[in-house]
Amino acid sequence: MTISSDRLVKAGAVTDTVADNPLPRRRRRGRGRNIVEVTLLTVVAAAMLFPVLWILETSIKENRDVYAVPAKFFDFKVTFAHYKDVFFASDGGASDVSRSFLNSILVAGGSTVLATLFGVPAAWAYSRFPLRAKKDQLFFILSTRFMPPVVIVIPVFLMYRELGLINTHIGLILVYAAFNVSFTIWMMKGFVDEVPAEYEEAAMLDGYTRLQAFRRFTLPLLVPGIAATAVFALIFSWNEFVFAIFLTTSQDVRTAPPAIAGLIGGTTVDWGLVAACAVVFAIPVLVFAFLVRKHLVAGVTLGAVRR
Amino acid sequence: MRYTGPLGRMSLPRRKARLSAAAVATAMILAACGGNSSDNAGGDSDGKAAGPTAPATIPALTNDPATLSFIWFEWPAAQALEDFANAEYSKVRPNVTVEVNTVPNANWHDAMFTQFAARKTDFDIAILDSQHIGEAVTNGNILDITDFIKSNIETAAYDPYLLAAYGQYPQAETGQRDENASMYGLPLLGDTWTMIYRKDLIGDTPPATWDEMIATAKKCQDDNPGVNGLAFHQSNGSDAAAVTYNTVNGVYGGTIWNSKDRKIDGVINDAAGQKAMDVLVNQMKPLTAKGSGNWFIDEVNAAVAQGKACIAFQWIAASGGLLDPAQSTLGTSKEEILDKLGFATLPTQETNLVPLGGMGMHISAYVSPAQQAEALNFMKWFEQADVQKKWAAAGGVPSRTDALKSPEFLDGPPFNQVYADSVARQRDMWNVPEYAKLIDIENTNVNAALNGAADPRTALDTIAKDQQAVLDSSGGGL
Amino acid sequence: MSSTTTPPAQASAPPPAPGRTTRLGDRKLAVTFISPALLLLLFMSIFPLLWALYLSFTDYSVTRDKPAKFVGLQNYVDILTSSQVHQRTLTTLAYVVGAVLLQTVLGFGIAYLISRRRRGQGVLTTLFLVPMMLSPVVVGLFWKFMFDAQFGVVNSMLGSLGLEPVEWLTRMPNALISLIVVDTWQWTPFIMLIALAGLTAVPNYLYEAASIDRASEWFRFRHITFPLVWPLLLIAVMFRAIEAFRLFDLVYILTNGGPGVSTETLSFHVYKVAFLGFNTGTASAYGILMVLVVLVMAQFYLRYLTKLKEK
Repeated sequence: MTISSDRLVKAGAVTDTVADNPLPRRRRRGRGRNIVEVTLLTVVAAAMLFPVLWILETSIKENRDVYAVPAKFFDFKVTFAHYKDVFFASDGGASDVSRSFLNSILVAGGSTVLATLFGVPAAWAYSRFPLRAKKDQLFFILSTRFMPPVVIVIPVFLMYRELGLINTHIGLILVYAAFNVSFTIWMMKGFVDEVPAEYEEAAMLDGYTRLQAFRRFTLPLLVPGIAATAVFALIFSWNEFVFAIFLTTSQDVRTAPPAIAGLIGGTTVDWGLVAACAVVFAIPVLVFAFLVRKHLVAGVTLGAVRR
Repeated sequence: MRYTGPLGRMSLPRRKARLSAAAVATAMILAACGGNSSDNAGGDSDGKAAGPTAPATIPALTNDPATLSFIWFEWPAAQALEDFANAEYSKVRPNVTVEVNTVPNANWHDAMFTQFAARKTDFDIAILDSQHIGEAVTNGNILDITDFIKSNIETAAYDPYLLAAYGQYPQAETGQRDENASMYGLPLLGDTWTMIYRKDLIGDTPPATWDEMIATAKKCQDDNPGVNGLAFHQSNGSDAAAVTYNTVNGVYGGTIWNSKDRKIDGVINDAAGQKAMDVLVNQMKPLTAKGSGNWFIDEVNAAVAQGKACIAFQWIAASGGLLDPAQSTLGTSKEEILDKLGFATLPTQETNLVPLGGMGMHISAYVSPAQQAEALNFMKWFEQADVQKKWAAAGGVPSRTDALKSPEFLDGPPFNQVYADSVARQRDMWNVPEYAKLIDIENTNVNAALNGAADPRTALDTIAKDQQAVLDSSGGGL
Repeated sequence: MSSTTTPPAQASAPPPAPGRTTRLGDRKLAVTFISPALLLLLFMSIFPLLWALYLSFTDYSVTRDKPAKFVGLQNYVDILTSSQVHQRTLTTLAYVVGAVLLQTVLGFGIAYLISRRRRGQGVLTTLFLVPMMLSPVVVGLFWKFMFDAQFGVVNSMLGSLGLEPVEWLTRMPNALISLIVVDTWQWTPFIMLIALAGLTAVPNYLYEAASIDRASEWFRFRHITFPLVWPLLLIAVMFRAIEAFRLFDLVYILTNGGPGVSTETLSFHVYKVAFLGFNTGTASAYGILMVLVVLVMAQFYLRYLTKLKEK
């Protein structure tokens, strides 16, 4: 299949460019059809984005208005009290949720660093060297990424019990790092494949060792790919729920997703607070996703579809 | 172990590596399993063998800074306990800080028992639901405090059933306490259901019988468009739908099990049980809001606060938020809200039974003796007459009879009187190691019946059959 | 990648003096680079799985303090013959097929519409991608709120259209449909993104040739666009099918398996067996069976992927 890489990059690109659209010139019926298509797109876009807008609206409503029937779309009093509650407890100290945000940063950051440190060199080796049973190894690596978390968590729990890793940051970091390292290898292998091996070979003819050639010539070219891969790993760890809820038991370690889930199921649900937490929690992910927008296609397919 | 990368020409070392990997894995499995059986904390499946036991007298306490940790679920009572303990306990133990860790309600049982399973807890005192005691005792997770209670607690100051419900195992007969049985906990927070009714819609006098209550709710619903007759717990999570059914079952003269013969099939689904299911599904459910089939504590509170229910049933300990004008459309002050909301004990029918809620304090078997000593000291302190009264004044529900009769308690919010009047009427569920499975069977089937996913009669028979199977097989299987 | 075609800027750096470093053999290098990653996977995935495999032949329970007793294939027999498990399998199947089908149709449709726009492609794409980036917890919680029969905005809007409120989460088959809708809402962007990648890659000249032939719109779609996009789309579909099969968090938060147990998926059921009954042995066997299914699905996925890459 011949796919022009430039085109595809544009598909994920955010820059509002006029696409050199490959479609044929519109004919007589073109205008009517055009209107139908634009209308359809608008409707779908509205439907898809409405929940997001509703989260935003709920986060700035007073709780009384949150429950109003019929729902209030515009005529409500705006308050930012919920955002204050995200970070501060009623006594002025840091709230439990804000503590969980810090834990999320630590866990997501730690696991991403680990997965990158382990995954990138491995990806390079898989790309460069004729290893035995390479396909099998890569399949094995990929399949670990697909394991149902609810299943894995049982033996991991038993193992962690022996190792004393339950309810520790390092325990969560290791689980996430394992899930992410397989992703990193797959995605980075694609990036490494695109850097011609000849660069390294040429450098080696100049007297560099293979390792030096990798470090000085290939690695710098991989930096954008590494950044994109790391961001995806970060997003995975940031949003993960199942391991987090079963392997953490105290506020000192709990990450944000279970902490946010814990906001409901008390005696009253403060939906305004839930919404504000959701917004604050989503912002870093959206920012990061925006930064790697060019690599989104590669990222969502574990680097399988990338050109 | 060093993994030898399988490069092209390296078949031999690779095989070796594979073998050694397998060997290591096997060794680890064996070691781990051996570990499981050897670090036995005591207790066997009968729950009779001597488990970890607390001393009769509190050992010497340290004066170094220390933290006493609790685990509970996320709700206002948890914050109240932490604030109260730090304000009051620090007067006798200035070096101790009390910390109440909370987990989501849906995760409460799992969070405690996974830590117990890990044989390492980050809490010293577990606040177990009364029905969790059997599971914890059988697994040897909590301390036997029988001797400690004998020498330190004025047991005569309590309604015997409260002591039994929050501490005794094996479970006591409803309303009684077996003086010879072992004790594993002390009451922390008493609780039962209260009926919440709209005085402005149905008048100041609450309905006295269950049938009358249903009729009143129906009339109120018909007279007030937009307001539903009833609101109660129907969710398939936690113990929501199960407590609702068990309550109706009790009121209509049913029994949920025969604890002596461990019989459920033929007991819960006898004529009274069928009648209760019929009342719940065919008379009460039609008076609830559309889509209320997943409601639990917070949804019922929301419905009451939004003025959408004539009569509601709620745990007393979860009713405080109803008086908060910031959450309510019923009034702009507590007084205005109380003009509209009345709180009463549950209506009666064949019996006057009400559900037993609330929780006790239990000491983790997996923390240091020093922490256990501090926990014992806290419990002794907490169960004193004046502290119980202060706990009442701070918004807690005490268990000592003198505290329940004190002005500190009775002058509090109106549902406190409801609790005091309900104490002698309470009935608990099964307190057995298989509780978590029993409650799930009942929750999901009652929930299915309430939401038209199962025929009520079939659902009840399924409950009886499945629960019986769980009791008979004592674990294992799906 | 534009960067990959740029010659390395550092190429001008002076080569090191010969013999300054010891030359690490390629083989050793490969081993050194790969083994940490493989060790991590061995430790965190394979070893736990082997352990689960061992436990699946026993009656072990994490909480009951008794040594594991060997029960042979009993756990597997129990699971495979359990009507409860059969019911969950059907639920999971309905969910996977429903959700993946719906999001494929929608995702491809949206991608097709976007690909025909001359302006605003980038902005549209970005906006559509937001749901996919949110945590399943946030998505689940918020849809639960929106689907609330009394206070939810969905019924409120139906009400202003004069329609009766719908019990989204507490009736069958609504509850399952709601799960499918929410999953579709979150993951349609995923299919869209990949479909769009395929659509924008259809070479111009093919359309030009077709337009000279005065080929009909449908003909163009059927014979040019679709065949070129389909391989990519299939990748997305398979990926989503595996993910949907593993689904846990959305059920946990949105319906908790209700009404009754009618929306319990296999993952959710495993959780109950493992953490309510603490029947670790049975849960392990259950898990191993799920892993086998995933492995088969992943095998198909990978085979297809390799084929696509080789083309």
